[in-house]
Amino acid sequence: MRKSLVNTLRWLVFAVAVIVLNFPVIATLVTSLKSEAEIMTNASLVIEAPTLDNYAAVFAMADRFDILHFLMNSLVASLIGSALAIFLAFPAAYAMARFGVGRSWLLPLAVNLRAVPLIIFAIPIYLMFQQVGLLDTRFGLALILCLVNVPLVLVLFASSIADLPLEIEEAGRVDGAGTLRLLVYVVAPMSLNVVAASSVLAFIYSWNEFLFGLMLTTNNATPVSVGASFFFAASGGGVRWGVAAAVMILATLPPLILGLLMYRQIGRSMTAGAVKG
Amino acid sequence: MPRTSRFEGRLLIAPLTAFLIALLGFPLVLDIIYSISHVGFENIRAPELTGFSNYAKAIADPEFWAAAWFSLRFGLIVAVIQVVAGLGLAVFLAPLFAKRPWLIALLMLPMMVAPALVGLMYRLILHEFVGAVPYYLLEWYGDFPAFLGRDWAFTTLVTVETLQWTPFALLILHSSYAAVSPDIREAASLDGARGRRLFLNIDLPLMLPAIGITFFLRFIDSFRVFDNLYTLVGPGAGGSTTSMSIYIYQAFFKVGDIGLAVAASMLLLVASFMVLWVINGLTARKAPL
Repeated sequence: MRKSLVNTLRWLVFAVAVIVLNFPVIATLVTSLKSEAEIMTNASLVIEAPTLDNYAAVFAMADRFDILHFLMNSLVASLIGSALAIFLAFPAAYAMARFGVGRSWLLPLAVNLRAVPLIIFAIPIYLMFQQVGLLDTRFGLALILCLVNVPLVLVLFASSIADLPLEIEEAGRVDGAGTLRLLVYVVAPMSLNVVAASSVLAFIYSWNEFLFGLMLTTNNATPVSVGASFFFAASGGGVRWGVAAAVMILATLPPLILGLLMYRQIGRSMTAGAVKG
Repeated sequence: MPRTSRFEGRLLIAPLTAFLIALLGFPLVLDIIYSISHVGFENIRAPELTGFSNYAKAIADPEFWAAAWFSLRFGLIVAVIQVVAGLGLAVFLAPLFAKRPWLIALLMLPMMVAPALVGLMYRLILHEFVGAVPYYLLEWYGDFPAFLGRDWAFTTLVTVETLQWTPFALLILHSSYAAVSPDIREAASLDGARGRRLFLNIDLPLMLPAIGITFFLRFIDSFRVFDNLYTLVGPGAGGSTTSMSIYIYQAFFKVGDIGLAVAASMLLLVASFMVLWVINGLTARKAPL
């Protein structure tokens, strides 16, 4: 009897936690589905007349603020940034795990980098980008997203490669395979799990990055995390809350869906990244 | 180790090393040079060395210290609340997660949302006419505070940050709690330990390293807070919510004082190294145990 009571209490706590923690997204979603008129008269979480008008309105103002352009910028920069981070970190992690090269300085550097506020480097990077013409470009933003993600990806790879059985690689060596061939045909296939898990996490972090997007882009390469706030001022006078809410939902949907689908991999990566670091 | 594999190893880390030199090393050198120069956008390529006046200016600026104090206080308070709440949820809800692991996905969702967007969402949610929170507070209590006003801004920001990142503490501490071997628990319960005593004497000591790591990670993330703070309140009423990151951003973009911004960055870097040094010292001392 007492046990079932405690169990009921657990479910209750769980339900409350889900609602409270996800409240910003829930409330924004609700607002985005109300008409402009209803938003002004009904601030509750109950929608009287659900409508998709706000979403239509977002796409209709593409001549001034193009949501698809912002989404595309985020997508391209995040994909390049995550891929580049993996491409750079994977061989380095292998060298650290198998040859011991750089383990004494590169790994601690990467781990400690996560504790350093990146705004410290933001200003010189801004000035550098200005000189070489990388300001307001998707590639420039991607380079920074790579920098943001390299520490985590490196830590994840270094620990996972060290856990791989050495015998298979040795067999490959005996058969005459060089390091590069081993890396591509033996180590990489065995590491696909980690690659997938860390690239999802890197993609989400990239998509959600804000500071560098704000500083290094003005228009052409603006990611949606920055572009979303443009819609708050879109109509000159008061904020069109329905439009703003719809934009926020659109900007949040990609990482949210990824998070729901791949929560296991993301959870494992986050935990490993925290504990191994 | 044969010489060839050492050479190959160097080749393999070369791309990453080059990348880090270009995007961290070079900026750091620029940071150092600019921080001891008189520099503006007009002489950005030929800064004029002037010694430590930028540092003196930062140290003499009360707003710099206010920002440092804000970040420190914010980081500590938020980290403590998150660890306590995350630990409580992780332990209390563990039986649910053990049977249905996917339940934790619903609690991880807040971490998938960009903090900048969360800040924007709260602008909507806390808005006095269209926001759901004031609506329900009015309905239930007949009144609501000025969430982003001088008196409440700090509390509001702590709440916003805590609600978004408690899931991180929950996740790490849940996996640490789940990793405590059932054998140990069984042995302890055979010895008569139950409920609270079992938790305090067995689980908690075993989870201590994870708790420390979680606290540290949450502290540094909140200490450097920028995104949600910037989109929700900016520097806030009279600079009352200026974090270190916001201070540096403002000095650079709003005031255009590159030297001051860069000197403040360097001071922040030194502060981060001091924190890291303390943490590394603590973990090194624990290692032999």
